[in-house]
Amino acid sequence: MSKYIKTQMSAENYIDDFIRGEKQTEPNPFLSTRIVAEIEKMQQAEIKKVTWWQIVVFVACIVTMVFLGITIGNSYISHISQEITMNINDNEIENLGYYSLNNYE
Amino acid sequence: MEEEQLIQEIVCGNTLAFKMLMEKYQNRVFCVAMGFVHSKEDAEDLTQEVFIKVYLSLSTFNHESKFSTWLYRITINTCINFANRNRKRRLLQSLEDVWHSAFNQRDEEQTPLEKMEISERNLLIKKAIDSLSDRQRVAFILSKYEELPQKEIAAIMNTTEGAVEQLLQRAKNNLQKKLKRSVGN
Repeated sequence: MSKYIKTQMSAENYIDDFIRGEKQTEPNPFLSTRIVAEIEKMQQAEIKKVTWWQIVVFVACIVTMVFLGITIGNSYISHISQEITMNINDNEIENLGYYSLNNYE
Repeated sequence: MEEEQLIQEIVCGNTLAFKMLMEKYQNRVFCVAMGFVHSKEDAEDLTQEVFIKVYLSLSTFNHESKFSTWLYRITINTCINFANRNRKRRLLQSLEDVWHSAFNQRDEEQTPLEKMEISERNLLIKKAIDSLSDRQRVAFILSKYEELPQKEIAAIMNTTEGAVEQLLQRAKNNLQKKLKRSVGN
């Protein structure tokens, strides 16, 4: 057998051996579980995803509430009366008659 | 459950049906990925990427071809894109593997020198396979790794059986040309 043919056959045998070795490699037995978990994670992320108009509505609500609160607060302050009244209970005030000189000896 | 039924269930969102389909085709996808990347970890990542793409685009599968044909096409496109993106990193990884395999203590029948020779030879074979053109590499991997008939390879590659035979012949000649000096001696 010529040297060229022998070389070709041995190269082919080496290639076949190499491929046979790679074909014997087995994947991780939990690979399918890992892939399903990844897909479920993506689905969760999709559910949690917020659209732009939802963000706009949310910000508008907050701004409206703050504005409403300030307006109510301002209107409340403007109606408070500036008058001050004194409430005195005469019975609890010290009886100044004790200090007069008539009939208390 | 039949494949058609499984696909219907998956389109409706049944992940259990998808898991059943995956278990049926997982090893085939993994084997093709190994042919492209020659690394178990990368092949697993690729298998994951392929099945996620399948899940997301299953509603667009129009049953014009067999499901396996459609799946192989997705696998091949994903593998080619991955291999082209990570060419340099994988070359460095292969060189590391040659170094580490020389000191692998599990197989005590071979000396470190023999192990290193085998690893270097395997590295040359990997480089030779990776240097084939995309179409030759696809035909070669589907034929040698998956042992598919030429008719099926032609359906996957959307070409004729004659073209597949030519691609396989050219791939074989190119590999032997690249390897004859180093591996053949």
